[in-house]
Amino acid sequence: MRYVPKQPREGINVSDTHPLVEAGTLVVGLSAIFILIVLALVFLIELALYFVPAEKEAELFRDWLPDDLVTVSPGDERLYETQLLVDRLAFHWADSPYEFRVEIDDSEVANAMALPGGLIIVTQGLLDQVESENELAFVLGHELGHYRNRDHIRALGRGIVFSLFFAVATGSSDAAGLGLKVSDLALRGFSRKQESRADEFALAMVYTQYGHVNEAWRLFERWDNEDKSILDLVTYLSTHPQAGDRVESLESLAVSEGWPLHGRVTALQW
Amino acid sequence: MDGATFENLNLFLNFGLPLLLLMIAYFIGSMVERRHFSSIRKRENENRGYPVVSFDTMPDDWKVSESTMVAGNIVVSLDYFKRVIAGLRSLVGGRIKTYEPLLERARREALLRMTESAREQGYDAIFNVRLETSRLANSRGDGNGTAGVEMLAFGTAVKFASRFARTP
Repeated sequence: MRYVPKQPREGINVSDTHPLVEAGTLVVGLSAIFILIVLALVFLIELALYFVPAEKEAELFRDWLPDDLVTVSPGDERLYETQLLVDRLAFHWADSPYEFRVEIDDSEVANAMALPGGLIIVTQGLLDQVESENELAFVLGHELGHYRNRDHIRALGRGIVFSLFFAVATGSSDAAGLGLKVSDLALRGFSRKQESRADEFALAMVYTQYGHVNEAWRLFERWDNEDKSILDLVTYLSTHPQAGDRVESLESLAVSEGWPLHGRVTALQW
Repeated sequence: MDGATFENLNLFLNFGLPLLLLMIAYFIGSMVERRHFSSIRKRENENRGYPVVSFDTMPDDWKVSESTMVAGNIVVSLDYFKRVIAGLRSLVGGRIKTYEPLLERARREALLRMTESAREQGYDAIFNVRLETSRLANSRGDGNGTAGVEMLAFGTAVKFASRFARTP
């Protein structure tokens, strides 16, 4: 047998698709799939909201507490006063189907959360930072606004989307991690709209309770002025409107509704 | 630093930086790949007439005076761009097209190194050529990342007893 020297043929083992074309196809295709999944989930959540009315939700989650919640002792003074304040505020929302329960989380990051079944979580950090009852009433009213609009259920839906993509991200590669960040950015827009609506509800509630809206947004003014606390509040700012923007829109709302901007500030009860 | 600056910095760290890294990785990666392929083509052309065959027994008409084992070995790694694209591909399955040039480079380079080592030692041909691949992992803490692949080419190099022994 004769040996005939030959150069290896090119293009058999390597596909001639340009890497950028491959990248583009994958990014566009996967984004389309991702958008479809998110739309389907949003639809399912709206469906669930339609079929599970607030009364049913309140009943289902009556005694529910998240497993990872570290609470203060039941006899805590701040817990008692905050619960009392929530009850007084909820009085202005006459047909509320919820029985609101307050728990204090021991986190240092100032935050408040609305969880299913009327469970309002406020952090130690928030209670340390509020300086008057009016400030605290606004934050609590904001959470009540989330119940009113049932945003807390939608937030749970968002959480499902995130944990889904987080599972994909840990299962495959850092590529899905990037997708996670993109979806986070996309959902922030929705989230901010909900927050503004909750803010409006809260301001109306504060006005009904105190007859004026003085100091209602003092907390945000301080956050806007103090650089340090803005850095501490990364998670808060990412889903909520900027503190400065919030102050502006709240002020213009109060002016257009004719709610007095001045009035006697109620001191904290502790 | 005010809120807007912070938000912008946050945006940059989350989206701009990975994108920038991807672009840099793409440009450097494709440049390295192009240069490697052109070097491979050039050296393959130089070694064109040198017999490198995969028969496991020596052809009958080869009269040889000496033999030894020769090996060529290369370890290559992916760039970040290829890794990200492959990660996206792994979500839906299919040909990982960005890995194919990498393995092609590894195979041809390993064969070339083996051939060049045999020529340097004065051997005339190589038979029973085999290729082996192993994956080097543990580039990430959890041991799931791919550091690269190793390609090993080995075979039996022979010296012909007579320059004219090949042609009967």
